[in-house]
Amino acid sequence: MDDDVLTTLKILIIGESGVGKSSLLLRFTDDTFDPEIAATIGVDFKVKTLTVDGNKAKLAIWDTAGQERFRTLTPSYYRGAQGVILVYDVSSRNSFNRLEQWLSELETFSTKQDIVKMLVGNKIDKDKKEVDRNEGLKFARKHQMLFIEASAKTREGVQCAFEELVEKIIQTPGLWESDSQPKGVSLTDTGSAAVNSCAGYCSLV
Amino acid sequence: MLVTSDLQPELSQSSVRTTMAEGGEEESEVFEITDFTTASEWERFVARIEEVINEWKLANLAPGPPLLKGELSTGEWEDRSEVVTFADVRFGMTLHRLKEKQQVQTPGDMEEEDCQPQAIQDLLAMENDFPPRAHCLCRWFGVRSFVVLAPGGHSDSIQSESKASLLLSSISIAVNNTGCSVPVFVQTQQKWRRMYQGVCEGGGLRTNYDMVHLKRIPPQYDHLAGLLDVFKSKIACPLPALPPVTVSVRFTYILSDWTQSAWTQEPPDFDIPYGGNVGGAEFGKLPFGALEDPVSELHLSTTWPCLSEEMIVDNSVYSDLDPLQAPQWSVRVRMTDNPQCLLGDYLSEFVKICHSLESTDQLLGGLVLDDDDKDPSRDVSAALQRLTEPSPLPLPTISDVVSNMKTRTKFRRKEAPIGGELLNMILQFLFPDAALEGFPRAEKPSTEQGGEKQDTAEYKETYRQYKSSPEGSLVYQLALCMCVVNSNHGGLRAVAHLWQEFVLEMRYRWENNYSIPGLPEGSPDMSACLLLQKLQMLNCCIQRKTAREARMKEAANQQASAAAAVQDKPARGSTSAGSDGWDVEDSDEEFFECETEMEMETEENIASNSDADSAQNNTLPKGKVASNSQPSNDRTNMHKSESAVSFKDTVTSQPEGRLKQCGDLCLLDSSEPLYIPITQEPGPMTEDMLEQHAEVLAKLGTSAEGAHLRARMQSACLLSDMEAFKAANPACKLEDFVRWYSPRDWIEEPLTDETGQRVLKGELSPRMRIPGNMWCEVWDSARPVPARKQKRLFDDTKEAEKVLHFLAALRPAQVALQLTPMLVHAAILRVEEEGETSPPALATMLAQIQARASKVLRAPNMDAQKCEDLMELVRQVTLVETVIARARSLRAKFNTEKARSDDGAQELERFVSSLLEQPEVKVIGAGRGPAGTVIHKLFATAQKAAHSFDDDDHSPSEHRAELDSCPDFPRPAGREYILRTTVPRPCPVSRPCPQRMFCTLIKEDFRLAGAFTSDTTFM
Ligand SMILES: Nc1nc2c(ncn2[C@@H]2O[C@H](COP(=O)(O)OP(=O)(O)OP(=O)(O)O)[C@@H](O)[C@H]2O)c(=O)[nH]1
Ligand SMILES: [Mg+2]
Repeated sequence: MDDDVLTTLKILIIGESGVGKSSLLLRFTDDTFDPEIAATIGVDFKVKTLTVDGNKAKLAIWDTAGQERFRTLTPSYYRGAQGVILVYDVSSRNSFNRLEQWLSELETFSTKQDIVKMLVGNKIDKDKKEVDRNEGLKFARKHQMLFIEASAKTREGVQCAFEELVEKIIQTPGLWESDSQPKGVSLTDTGSAAVNSCAGYCSLV
Repeated sequence: MLVTSDLQPELSQSSVRTTMAEGGEEESEVFEITDFTTASEWERFVARIEEVINEWKLANLAPGPPLLKGELSTGEWEDRSEVVTFADVRFGMTLHRLKEKQQVQTPGDMEEEDCQPQAIQDLLAMENDFPPRAHCLCRWFGVRSFVVLAPGGHSDSIQSESKASLLLSSISIAVNNTGCSVPVFVQTQQKWRRMYQGVCEGGGLRTNYDMVHLKRIPPQYDHLAGLLDVFKSKIACPLPALPPVTVSVRFTYILSDWTQSAWTQEPPDFDIPYGGNVGGAEFGKLPFGALEDPVSELHLSTTWPCLSEEMIVDNSVYSDLDPLQAPQWSVRVRMTDNPQCLLGDYLSEFVKICHSLESTDQLLGGLVLDDDDKDPSRDVSAALQRLTEPSPLPLPTISDVVSNMKTRTKFRRKEAPIGGELLNMILQFLFPDAALEGFPRAEKPSTEQGGEKQDTAEYKETYRQYKSSPEGSLVYQLALCMCVVNSNHGGLRAVAHLWQEFVLEMRYRWENNYSIPGLPEGSPDMSACLLLQKLQMLNCCIQRKTAREARMKEAANQQASAAAAVQDKPARGSTSAGSDGWDVEDSDEEFFECETEMEMETEENIASNSDADSAQNNTLPKGKVASNSQPSNDRTNMHKSESAVSFKDTVTSQPEGRLKQCGDLCLLDSSEPLYIPITQEPGPMTEDMLEQHAEVLAKLGTSAEGAHLRARMQSACLLSDMEAFKAANPACKLEDFVRWYSPRDWIEEPLTDETGQRVLKGELSPRMRIPGNMWCEVWDSARPVPARKQKRLFDDTKEAEKVLHFLAALRPAQVALQLTPMLVHAAILRVEEEGETSPPALATMLAQIQARASKVLRAPNMDAQKCEDLMELVRQVTLVETVIARARSLRAKFNTEKARSDDGAQELERFVSSLLEQPEVKVIGAGRGPAGTVIHKLFATAQKAAHSFDDDDHSPSEHRAELDSCPDFPRPAGREYILRTTVPRPCPVSRPCPQRMFCTLIKEDFRLAGAFTSDTTFM
């Protein structure tokens, strides 16, 4: 069944509690919105296959609890992730202010060097807006992240966020494909030029 | 007659022409059908060659611009190959072509017959004589583009004269028919003899390439005079007086006896640091350097680029060709093949043992006296253990740990791979906190070793990059010791022995509450290697166990003294966190409780100093593991039987396990302040534990039930916190808990009440209000139990045993594999430490090694492929080590150090650096420049040494005279001459045609390669 799947990618969703991480994921995987989704305990997990640029990728998405108390546990799951979605709530200034801390935690616990990061400002359907789009943009630029505003409720931007992220991961060499070893410059030739009978100094010895 | 293989292709060719293209000219207007149905094998062969020539577009090419100086060597060459067959014999047909710098040549735009082929023009060009690196045909004939037809198989060769001439006629016909302007050669004789014959034709000229190869230099041709005779006789000039011949000469001298400047780099001393005589601190260093001179020979080529035959004398009795006077000098060095290099040797020996399958028992079996390792039940319990839950998951525990108490191994001393004294030294080096014999141990903070440089980000990156362990940490040092022990003290057996000792030390420390030194503080660092994580885990266990036992002891003491100190009670009570008089309640237990709390609080503050979170988050300080070893008292049992609903009414029950007040929040249903409870720390995890967790969690699938089950499995921590909260706030409800624990789920809105006052009205967020959601569910099942009376979330005993089992179960080869990241890391640092910057390519090589190491070491696989990748890495490290050794050897030989004051120093340094990177280096100023002077001296010294050695039986005075007269240079090992002229051939009215002969005179290799051109117009 998964024969044509190019690769399995590990994606992580992090951010303050209640910003809508689980809702975004549910929107992406099941295309529904459930206002009664329970606050995540520990980590949750979903799978979805996605085709980007003709490449089929299986996404293993880990949804983490934003709740403070679970934070001693969840960072363990950052390990090996190729992509991360960092979510804030555009109607909550506080959730935006905490982004730096989330990033530094990610820095500490992720193991891949070129992990692709995407910033998502969620809940843009709400009237009350505390964080301007430009602030999100600025933050993303500063930290070399992808950026999008979205709403799990209205589905706006959700699919796109995941697709962009995956595309970027696939474009990042060394992040997902099996390692192709670079060939080293060879100084060996200098040592034994006479070995190759015609290319080297062949008139002597 | 010397030149034997005069094949007269002209003859055979003209005969073929008549058979193949009979009357071609006359019939050219007639529509022609080429019928090959009756063609012979040979005709098909020729046709195929023509086909390839056409396919490669080699016909009627206009000559390109003259070659730049040295372009034959420095330019880029391209090759194309096709297979052609003659009957069932396969031939490889290969085009070698120098890529044009400026593209001027378009195929087919030169229709005029007049144009002389490039190769014929190039016969006279002198810019590329004696190229340092080129195909031998370039060297001999100065060609920049040519086709070679050679027998396909490695052993195939064209031995017979008749076959050779048949081939030669075939290519002549093909060249002629196609108008190919590139020379075509056939290779004859055994391949190693490099015998070629060929032809080039165009513009009314034809060059025949021919060759003589002998094993000995005939005496009459052992000098320029003789060679000129051959050249002239071969040209058979039709003019009465031959125009003068131009001569280029190169003599090559070999220096292999370095006498004075022999390999001086002091070989790293094995015996002192690694033999066990000196301080064990030396174990922390990998050896570096070559054990033999990596430079074996120096070849000096002295060149006279353009002489007229009339100007020089070089005959059997006299020669003008004095190397010191030669206008051009160039040097190449022969390096020793794979010189023995210490770092490379140590590394490769270590990586080699990663393949081994032997177990510790097999290696040390007979030596170990106590062998409870063999208890089969141990493995079973371990296997079961692996299935049971890693700490925070409430999966059922299938088996309890089999506690396998052991003392250190007792070896029969003499048979141990590592001697007692040495072993003690190593252990002392690894565990500097332990006195030599282990008793008494100084308990001191354990982090200095691993923590020294931890602050700098770059330093942190380095070990993360290789998934290794911080430089100087215990695991790092262990890797270095293992490597040394493997190379010097008995290979795999020694590794097995040291590992066994190491594991026993780990167990000793666990059992006796000594923390392990040289490890970074805190939870396992998943960016480091697994071994470091395991030891960090063990340290966490030791620390928790120590704290737990200390608490128990203190509690016991206090309980004992409590009764005796009743008077102190009020004073102590008032210092406790509570200010509401709750604590004043008179009960021995409450008093004890209060004290314990305070003690734990301070301890917590100390413990959380390293924890960045705690600074920014004072609403949720971490609790401390409470002991569960005390049997729960009756009151807890009573609580157990109470339902959560009825619990609300039991306001009278005593609060327990309070940490501090949560801001100025009060409980919703009473005026009591809301207290943050002391909570349990969730357990640390290593990456393999985490992986198992993740796997278990992922296996539950993505269905709603799966998600629910997943949440339930992870709710242990939530339950524990809720229970602690209930214990600390007897009158609380879920809303209270949420306000502390998840404030974003407590939504407050300003309302105006009946009296017109604005008040804040709060309620749970919608997601918390869903009936039956996990939070309500867990809340309902939570009993009020303070953290210290709860079941431990992290079972340090069990986790420690798991780590110890993991360590003990590793085969020596696996140990080695686990240690390789540190070793590679150390090797890279070791190379960097050498601080070599020359030759410049070193930096590139090192960067490549780093990038490769990062990839290989971070890759999760632990299989044969990994070993291979590691071996390749080791080879690269060895190469860098070799290059550094070469640089040093050359610097010593050219004395760059001593010349430092001169201007020459810089020149010498540059010269040495070029020697390492280029096949051949020009000596600026030839024999008179700074490098030339040194080279001259080197040769002269070697000559003197050689003579004084030979002439032992002469009298001293004779000897002196002999020495004085001995020439500074030996006889040249090789001599090369290029003779050129332009002569009308075959008859006096023919156009003048370029002629060239290349001569190589080596002791056992005499070669004349002639290219003789004649005008075909009037034949
Ligand atoms: N209006 C609006 N509400 C949203 C949106 N996304 C999520 N929510 C609501 O926000 C609340 C929290 O959503 P969750 O998805 O549970 O938040 P979370 O980030 O997973 O929270 P934790 O699991 O505690 O980390 C829920 O009540 C959702 O209904 C959105 O796009 N628009
Ligand atoms: Mg969630």
